[in-house]
Amino acid sequence: MNEVVVFPEWREKDLDGILGACLELIEDTTFPTVKRWRDAGGKVVGHFQVYFPEELADAAGLLPFKVRGASIDASQADSRFGSYLCSVVKTSLELALSERVHLDLFVTHPICDAARNLAAVWGRNVSYPCQILYLPQNAASPSAATYLRGEYDRLRRVLEGIAGAPVPNEALRRSITRFNENRALLRELYAIKRETPWQVAAHEAYVLTAVGGLVPREEHNALLRTVLPLLRSRAAHAQDRIRVVFEGGFCEQPPLDLIRSIGRSCYVVDDDFLIGMRWILDDVDPGKDPLAALAAAYLEGSGYSPVQHDPRKPKERMLLDRIDRSDARAAIVSSAKMCEPGLEEQVAYVQALDGARIPHFVTEFEENMTTFEQLEIQLETFVENLLFD
Amino acid sequence: MRLVAGIDVGSTYTKALLLREDRSIAAHALEPTGFRLAEIAETALRRALERAGLARDAVDYIVATGFGRHQVTFADVHVTDITAAARGATLLFPGTRTVLDVGGQTMKASRLAETAKVKAFRLNDKCAAGTGAFLEKTARYMGYSTEEIGPLVATSKEFPAISGVCAVFAESEVINHLSHGVAPADIMHGAIVSLVGRSVQLMKRVKMEPEFTLIGGILRFETMVRVAREALRADVNVPEGDLVQFVAALGAAQLGHRRLDQLAGGTPATATGRAEARTGVGPAEG
Repeated sequence: MNEVVVFPEWREKDLDGILGACLELIEDTTFPTVKRWRDAGGKVVGHFQVYFPEELADAAGLLPFKVRGASIDASQADSRFGSYLCSVVKTSLELALSERVHLDLFVTHPICDAARNLAAVWGRNVSYPCQILYLPQNAASPSAATYLRGEYDRLRRVLEGIAGAPVPNEALRRSITRFNENRALLRELYAIKRETPWQVAAHEAYVLTAVGGLVPREEHNALLRTVLPLLRSRAAHAQDRIRVVFEGGFCEQPPLDLIRSIGRSCYVVDDDFLIGMRWILDDVDPGKDPLAALAAAYLEGSGYSPVQHDPRKPKERMLLDRIDRSDARAAIVSSAKMCEPGLEEQVAYVQALDGARIPHFVTEFEENMTTFEQLEIQLETFVENLLFD
Repeated sequence: MRLVAGIDVGSTYTKALLLREDRSIAAHALEPTGFRLAEIAETALRRALERAGLARDAVDYIVATGFGRHQVTFADVHVTDITAAARGATLLFPGTRTVLDVGGQTMKASRLAETAKVKAFRLNDKCAAGTGAFLEKTARYMGYSTEEIGPLVATSKEFPAISGVCAVFAESEVINHLSHGVAPADIMHGAIVSLVGRSVQLMKRVKMEPEFTLIGGILRFETMVRVAREALRADVNVPEGDLVQFVAALGAAQLGHRRLDQLAGGTPATATGRAEARTGVGPAEG
């Protein structure tokens, strides 16, 4: 299946053309790349936010499709979930109910009550299997790596059933190498954000990252290999803006217009948008046991988010480190509405930022919000206070 | 001597003002905004530089404000027009505590602290009610241009009540008054009284405090100032001549000098930490 090209639109274009093609793909709620993959006879694994070991699906010859909701009306899914739940579980389910995407397997995780229940609700409405990948609840436990390797092995067997073929270790090693390159390219993209943020706007970096959840990784790698040098050589005027870190985009994603609005006032030099795609921080050495290597990387060489509980990585300290590493002056601490993990962590974040005397702007968002004027003017006022007082 | 440019891309006019380090104005220029915002900002800046007899590289820092500020990609920084107007008003009238800015498409009231920081602000509704557009349309219905509003209304002795300030519904009211023989000057006067009434309501919503400083193109009309003074039952500050239209640009430039002072003093933490050479174009931020 790897020879199928599902996203040719960016090729032979200049930088603006490439960014435009990526933007169009991200905003297309008919998911044309997934459709093209299926039309070519491929099978698709939909995996809900935040982290999923996509290498396993890739090694099985399946397309890992990042299920992260969409800017759509959850008219059918609304009847399956209460109004007190976040939007992303509803719009994600709506993708299936409205048949915008057709999957062969759906996998979610027990990252919160809503996400855990999603597999059962999803499974009652579709004919294909739905699974929960039980990532370790206590990442610091001495047994966590062994447990997680076993859970990955179980997932491998499920994927072999979908693919109709075994997933040998050699195929896993090739996929890990492919994803290592992808993570390195994303690290390079984020290095541009940190070092010369005027060369890539916040929403542009977001779009370039998000494409990876919709296309095979080798296509994403080809895209990034082309774009990154173009960004580096972009003639852009450095403005006198505050450098900020955005925290709160780990699961439900802020609307692109919100990211664009923030990018008009500040340079977003680091963030946790789509953090699952950048969860593993360094190259993974597949070694003799690729599943064990992936499990170890998840536990020992990973980022942080409110949905992973690891006492070795207190989130507030990790946020302060992120601010320090990116030489940011302030933080935007956000959360999706009704997101329990996000809102809980906000309290600790704000306390830590107060303690460290780091200016911060606290806000909430919803993936379907459409007006940003008030938020933008509040943010600009925040920035002006930092710049001029 | 350091020179800062403040560029106010307003909905109707774009204003550029060059401010020296001693806070004296080197030059200013005004252009109709149109729809090519970046280009018109560049044009306005170029005109101001020509008037000052200066080259582009004489400008050390550029601050953009106004509704089209984000399109000025060659600026060093963008600030809201609320903050810019507050700084401009207090530079001209240090005792200012309330600013009313009546522009072509917007009306803004803000209450300031002694430090010139904005403590509260309100904008008009999304429609052009209570803005310069209302007066312009009223004048146009009667066959007068914007520039004729001032001399026209100066001849008025009395005025009819104009019940609403909706720029669309005003036409039927104007026609009605004209058919009853009311003089155009008096109708225009009534429109101004109506507009001022709406302005005062907005100022009350920010809990206005004296001194009051009124800015924006509409304040060029002496009748507008007189009616505002009567409605507020207080004296008002109004910048002289056409400076009344340049207050936000002036404030933007003032903020630019403040920023340069900070940078010279070692205040860190923006992307560049200094005013960079102004070449190339920035990323498309919307």
